[in-house]
Amino acid sequence: MDIDLNALLETYRKNPFEDHVLQSVHTGIITFKVQEDQEVHGPEGKWHQKPGTLLYQLERENNIKKIYSPCSGTIIDLRRDLNGSFTEAGVDLMSIRHRLDKDEVIDRILRDVLILFTAPQRARYLLSPEFAVKIEKQGQPSIQPGDEPIIMSLMKRDTNLVYSSTPGVIYKVYFQQGALVEEGAPLLGICQEENLSYIQQVVNKIKTEWE
Amino acid sequence: MPAKDKTMMDSGKLITQLYDRATYLIDIKKSQDWGNIGDILKNLHQVRQSIFDLDEQVVFEQLEQLDAQISDLEGRLARSITPADVVNIVRSPQRFTLMDVLENVYDSFTELGGSGDCNVDPAMVAARATVSRRVKDKLYTHQIMVIGHEKGRGEEFRNGGCARPWGNDKALRYMHTAETEGIPIHFYIFTPGSYPIEDYPGAAQQIARNLYAMAKLRTPMISFISEGGSGGAEAIGLADMRLMASHGYYSVISPEGAAAIEGKIREGHKVPKELIEHCAAQLRMTARDNLELGTIDRVVQEPPLGAKREDYAFFRRLRYEMIRATDEVVLQAKSFRAMRTYALKMDDNDGSVEEFPVGVHWEMDRSEIRRLLELRSEKYRRMGQGFGIEEKKGLLAGLSKAKELAEAGYYELRYGLIRPHEKNVKKVISEVSSEGSTFLRKVTEPVRAMYEFVLPKTEDVRTGPMEGVERRSIFIEEWEPYVSPLANEDRTITCPNAEKSGCQDLWVPDLYGEFCGVCPTCGHHFPLEYQWYLENLFDRKTLKEFNTHIVSQNPLRFQGFDARLEKDIKKTGRRSSIITFDAGVNGIKLVGAMLFSDFRNGTVGSAEGEKFVRACDKARITRRPFLAYIHTTGGIRINEGTLGVVQMPKCTMAVREYIDSGGLYIVVYDNNSYAGPVASFLGCSPYQFAIRSSRIGFAGPRVIRETTGQDVPPDYHSAHNALKRGHIQGIWDRREFRKRLYEALVTMGGPNLYYK
Amino acid sequence: MKERILIANRGEIAIRIMQACEALGLDHVVVYTPEDRYSMHVRMAAKAFQIASYKDPNDIFEVADHAKCTAIHPGYGFFSENFRFARRAAMRSRPVRFIGPRWEVIRDLGSKINTKKVAKDLGIPVIPGTDRPIYNEIEAEGIAEWLFLLQKEQGVTHPSILVKASAGGGGMGIEEVNHLNTFRRVYRRIQSYSKRQFGDEGVLIEQCLRDYHHLEVQLVCSQHSEISHFGTRNCTIQSTGRQKRVEVAPGFDPDYCTYPFNAQKVLERIVAYSVKMAKHVQYDNVGTWEWVVTRDGNPYLLEVNTRIQVENGISARIARIKGTDGYPNIVKEQIRVAFGDRLGYSQEDISFSGTSIELRIVAEDARRGFKPWCGAITRFAPYQADWVNVHTHIPPDLSYFIPTEYDPNLALAIIWGQNTAEAVERAHIFIKNTQIEGKDSHDQTIITNLPYLQEKLNDVLKF
Repeated sequence: MDIDLNALLETYRKNPFEDHVLQSVHTGIITFKVQEDQEVHGPEGKWHQKPGTLLYQLERENNIKKIYSPCSGTIIDLRRDLNGSFTEAGVDLMSIRHRLDKDEVIDRILRDVLILFTAPQRARYLLSPEFAVKIEKQGQPSIQPGDEPIIMSLMKRDTNLVYSSTPGVIYKVYFQQGALVEEGAPLLGICQEENLSYIQQVVNKIKTEWE
Repeated sequence: MPAKDKTMMDSGKLITQLYDRATYLIDIKKSQDWGNIGDILKNLHQVRQSIFDLDEQVVFEQLEQLDAQISDLEGRLARSITPADVVNIVRSPQRFTLMDVLENVYDSFTELGGSGDCNVDPAMVAARATVSRRVKDKLYTHQIMVIGHEKGRGEEFRNGGCARPWGNDKALRYMHTAETEGIPIHFYIFTPGSYPIEDYPGAAQQIARNLYAMAKLRTPMISFISEGGSGGAEAIGLADMRLMASHGYYSVISPEGAAAIEGKIREGHKVPKELIEHCAAQLRMTARDNLELGTIDRVVQEPPLGAKREDYAFFRRLRYEMIRATDEVVLQAKSFRAMRTYALKMDDNDGSVEEFPVGVHWEMDRSEIRRLLELRSEKYRRMGQGFGIEEKKGLLAGLSKAKELAEAGYYELRYGLIRPHEKNVKKVISEVSSEGSTFLRKVTEPVRAMYEFVLPKTEDVRTGPMEGVERRSIFIEEWEPYVSPLANEDRTITCPNAEKSGCQDLWVPDLYGEFCGVCPTCGHHFPLEYQWYLENLFDRKTLKEFNTHIVSQNPLRFQGFDARLEKDIKKTGRRSSIITFDAGVNGIKLVGAMLFSDFRNGTVGSAEGEKFVRACDKARITRRPFLAYIHTTGGIRINEGTLGVVQMPKCTMAVREYIDSGGLYIVVYDNNSYAGPVASFLGCSPYQFAIRSSRIGFAGPRVIRETTGQDVPPDYHSAHNALKRGHIQGIWDRREFRKRLYEALVTMGGPNLYYK
Repeated sequence: MKERILIANRGEIAIRIMQACEALGLDHVVVYTPEDRYSMHVRMAAKAFQIASYKDPNDIFEVADHAKCTAIHPGYGFFSENFRFARRAAMRSRPVRFIGPRWEVIRDLGSKINTKKVAKDLGIPVIPGTDRPIYNEIEAEGIAEWLFLLQKEQGVTHPSILVKASAGGGGMGIEEVNHLNTFRRVYRRIQSYSKRQFGDEGVLIEQCLRDYHHLEVQLVCSQHSEISHFGTRNCTIQSTGRQKRVEVAPGFDPDYCTYPFNAQKVLERIVAYSVKMAKHVQYDNVGTWEWVVTRDGNPYLLEVNTRIQVENGISARIARIKGTDGYPNIVKEQIRVAFGDRLGYSQEDISFSGTSIELRIVAEDARRGFKPWCGAITRFAPYQADWVNVHTHIPPDLSYFIPTEYDPNLALAIIWGQNTAEAVERAHIFIKNTQIEGKDSHDQTIITNLPYLQEKLNDVLKF
């Protein structure tokens, strides 16, 4: 269990950007509130209580919904031509070129270090009630082979997924409750207890090396 | 003073004294420009700089000149002290504090519950002390409990005299100690307000508990107010006699706070000084104002510019006044004649504050205590009366009074004599019949109309030819439920939890109609107008309002407030922010009081307090449960100043007496419930519940930020967190309100409901 | 103004609605989610709009307004039995016609409890039990005791009752009780489950029926108080979770097998009851009355489905209307009556001939608890003949990923024969000659329920 941290950091240094494609959340008349190349910010405040930059408004059934930026970055590929017109759901509206911050780089690199529990199928996923409570209460609860940490909701059927890898702690949850996850995408990041210090080393190293 | 008698050492001391006097003036005026005080200070500084270079004689001459200038200014200020000046006097670091009082007024004292910074809450000091009086060259010593705020001298741990919730809890603990020991309590109020945090036991809830206890604390209590900041002051303020420093203030809110609200100043923006001064004057917060309004009993005279740390003459006067007040409270409860004799002897005392003509024992027996409590009750029930009552005229008033008396007699008879017998009969019946089970079904059955519309009565269905017949529902609903007018709009609305809980946009007619304003996905409660509750909570046609003739007024002639009152009267068709009524829930009769948002944001003033007290009394007399449903309350109405504040002890007194007589008092919070009312007559209920998505607390996030410098999480005041902190006993779903209320009435009341 | 219908559904029913619209000369618009981008229902549509979800009424109304639709067809599932959706369609400031019964009817018959109550009042038999939620334990026990006694009187060998959460549905919160002694424990469990899940602790108690057939009566009614029926169906063959897999019209066939009761009479009875109730509630669109018939020949009304059903095709297939060619199309009839048309025929004009069987072809593993299969279909070649109609949304010309968001239904095959024996025979032929190929992400071959259907064909209509 060793990774070439320097090489990984180097790749992120070379390209510290991630493009987030934003799609219309539903149908409606769209009004953009940002310009191409504009700098935007994500939610702020200790509890993320202050929303990010207002990106666009979507009016549907006499309800004007304000959509705020989920992260910081620069607006690119803005579909200005859609402004003021009826828009279908799921249409690409713009992208945000987001510069990864320290925590995000740590997150990306840890994916190479942690034991990943991935989605066996394209489906909706939920934490099992038991683990949802554990994670809320303990933050990083332990997990044993045979545990059923996740419920897969596929074609209206719920299946409990069994964890079968080595025992450890759930270091990171990668999905939103009830969200659609593509096959093979990570659901949980698990770390063996004895590797926790190693993980911490990695985290510290990235923290010091990444500005 | 002749300069030649002075030494170099003395000149240094003199400079310091002048320096203190000058800065005191600057503190009061908050300006260096006033009377060129800045220049005087500069000159003083120069003298100090050059003290060794100058001739001694010159130094003293200059100092004498400066002394004269300062004295001149002091005189000028003393002749025209404004309310804003008073606030600054009280806040000056040179003003006396509780520690000075303990050292100078009392003979000896032992701090309780910690001392200095090693303390439960250094802002609240409790001490067991002795105080002595001289009567004809003999010394008599009294045991006393002293409880009060310590502002300290800029030490951070004192928190400027803002008691934390556990500080007020500590105060309550030692009040009970005094009660047990049978010694009087002297309260000293030096607080700009309570520290507005919700951590257990909670700012508001603890103040309410203190008020509830003080209402019937079985020992004499005297309070002295130097800085009486609203709810914080009340936490130790409900006393048998309330004295106030002549240069103190007692107010519903700080002038800055009032100005921010009045001027609708955005957070972080500066509040204009003129507006603060204006508000200080409008709030009628000085000792003289409060004496006039009847919110205090007596004023203790201070030196012309207020008492400072070393005004020993003042401390002698304070001792005299505190002892005298204690004497009077004790004697009033003992006997009228003793009190009269005492008063006569005191009048002959030639205004001496050193010696007393008589000694008085402060111990009281059982019947004297009972009398003490009666007097206390009368005192607080009288407070703020007559500010907001539109009296009924002549015959009508007489009639209604007679009716009230007759009612009281009837219920006394019915419950006093018949009820116990009836109970026994019932007990026998329920043992032999299955009545119990039918009863039970009623309890658990929800309000069906709120769940689903389907309540068929098929007999009513129209049969026969349908051609041309107007289409209508095939089932006739049991009753047309009241539908919120908010539902009359074709649009959708986004649930605030949409992102977290995946709620779909809600169609407004569905939301405010069938869903009773509740998001079906996450259960978020959108606010509904108070009428909805009046219509849906109680049995049909059982709701009867009373005391509508008691109306909100503008007792302080607060500038511009008349117009705002008028506007709300026009808007709501109501004349106070409280509705008091008789109503039934599944056949159980109750008395209710509802504070609602549309009228002055549900704030409580004299009229509201009076109506609340009368409703409470009505519940007591008719022996019915009492429900306080708080649609919203923004606190005490600041435009009524301390007349508003005294509604806290006043209403708590009524609640206490209702509960003591065996009443069931249930409080249900909705939307937003904050400040004074929660910190008194609501928070003292043993049964407090909240409707989902409501917020309950002492001060809003902005005030917390401004007083504590801390940001609070967005859900800080949520019902959920209030439950976690133990402030409330449960969270109710609006759709089940009626059912829950009924359950509460039955389970907390039992079959022998509401009356012991 | 020409009517334009928004088809608020997906898959084969969207296509059938589209075809019915075309036959009636009506414009139509479809909506779809990103998952369904390659579905035939999108490719066949002249106008299609992408929406966030078929379950979001806001998107559907927004598209309806934008595309100037005058009516919405909800198909089955989704909003078809949602009275709030129908009510909103009717009451919004720009009303849109909801193709289905009046919203009041949907609401009132949507409640099983209420339906049961109405039926009882009309003397229509329902499963013995409560017709309102029970909140009291003593009362509940009394009912349980009575139900056990009732079964004893009927000579039921293994009597049992069902305890259900009254606010529940779809098989959730139901438990069986075999003995009165265990009733209280189960009752309490269901009560607390119900309170937790639905915020209401009301519980229903009814006799647990076994050994019964599941029958349906297809009604077509108009807004002019015309009520006609298109006979009965038998939907007894179901997968776990009460998912229908094989349906047959008519409901019983005494010529094909023997019954322990007078089958013809039972069919007549349930038809008469259904018509009676439809008349009573002023039913005004297509609808299905669902029944169970026990071995002793007693029918009990189960529920009313106020929508078009998947299996409407088999009823149409065996029906003839005097003066028209071929067999009718119930989807078309539904749209017609929704626009206020008269039926144009009476019950006497409707006659029936032969037997029709519907096979629901699903990508699922019948031997492993009907576990859905996900993957790509590379070839879908149903057997073709003049006695079979296949409805599917699977494109014939490209590899098609089964969307994981929805049921893995692939196609419906509606087979007709002059009599039941022939229909069963033809169904066997159809299954044997239908080819479906596909691979999942682990390169495993597609699993369908064709073997299961074949096996179940032997049981068709037999008690």
